[in-house]
Amino acid sequence: MTDKCRCGRDAAVYLHYSRAHMCASHFMRMFDKRFRKTVRQFSMLRKGDRVAVGLSGGKDSCALLHSLCELKKDLPFELVAITIDEGIRGYRSRTLRIAKRECEQLGVEHVVYKFEKEAGRTLDALVKRDGSALPCTQCGVLRRYLLNKGARESGADKLATGHNLDDVAQMVLMNIMRNEPSRLARFNEPLVKNSRFVRRIRPLMLTPEKEDAVYAMLKGIELEHAECPYAHSAFRSQIRRMLNESEEKYPGTKFKVVNSFLEIEDALRGKYLKGAAVAECSTCGEPCSGSMCMFCRILRP
Amino acid sequence: MELIVDDETRKMRHSGSVSALLKKLGFMREEVVIKVNGRLAPETHQIKAKDSVEIIQVVFGG
Repeated sequence: MTDKCRCGRDAAVYLHYSRAHMCASHFMRMFDKRFRKTVRQFSMLRKGDRVAVGLSGGKDSCALLHSLCELKKDLPFELVAITIDEGIRGYRSRTLRIAKRECEQLGVEHVVYKFEKEAGRTLDALVKRDGSALPCTQCGVLRRYLLNKGARESGADKLATGHNLDDVAQMVLMNIMRNEPSRLARFNEPLVKNSRFVRRIRPLMLTPEKEDAVYAMLKGIELEHAECPYAHSAFRSQIRRMLNESEEKYPGTKFKVVNSFLEIEDALRGKYLKGAAVAECSTCGEPCSGSMCMFCRILRP
Repeated sequence: MELIVDDETRKMRHSGSVSALLKKLGFMREEVVIKVNGRLAPETHQIKAKDSVEIIQVVFGG
């Protein structure tokens, strides 16, 4: 097998699912083309939108920010980046620095929301308080709540997150294995519309995670090499490993999982739309399915 | 060949592809990016005795 791109240059990557060697230049072109196609296919952006980007400072969200900045040259819209500082000692400070620097270089407005200020305590403190609760679940609830709040306060029409193909394939399998198909039904948008929910978009949902890393490296973005100290406890880690093993044996597995989900998504929405209702949290007033939202449940004394 | 993992450098013998090296060392192809002599390279690259191969872990939990 030759290591040359179709243009004759040395390949920087080999895409097993399409059996293609690509040089850096052709890879970047393919990446941008797929990004734009995903945005179009799911009608994610419109001219004049104000888009809030969830920017952790990791490779995925930085790749997203750069890709949106590229797209902005052809489709005028506004960008604001929102970073959530969960308060994880020894982990978050470096990515916060990367996020800040990327925004400065790209000329994007940047706001930071801290768990400590918004929720009264850091994730470290929350985990210490309740050792039996899963850190990733708590973190996910608080992060989603604050990203939505931040996007709304920034006047954004859309909230773009760096979820990639691997994330979506993991989400599909996790919800199936937990017997929670109703969660799949509201993946792309809530079942019941509410003006306090900012529409979420995931323009990298059809881009493999590894390719986000390659794109970030080729763009000269600094990569964080540390793992979140709480990650080992997640069910997701096991699913990730299972999917990566399958991908090695059967290239294209992740695309097949996500495409299968997208094929049945409308049928799932149809099934769970009946009877879906949205209420207001009795404590904070945010929309939720019960009398109290998960954010307030986690924080109650 | 020279092998760099997590900023640690060591010498080792390996003849064959980067893909075979990853398997030998227990890395998952989907979770790493490879640089050979400082440049991004595909896993199909055949390693030469004087190559410097860097394995960069890019997929983490969290």
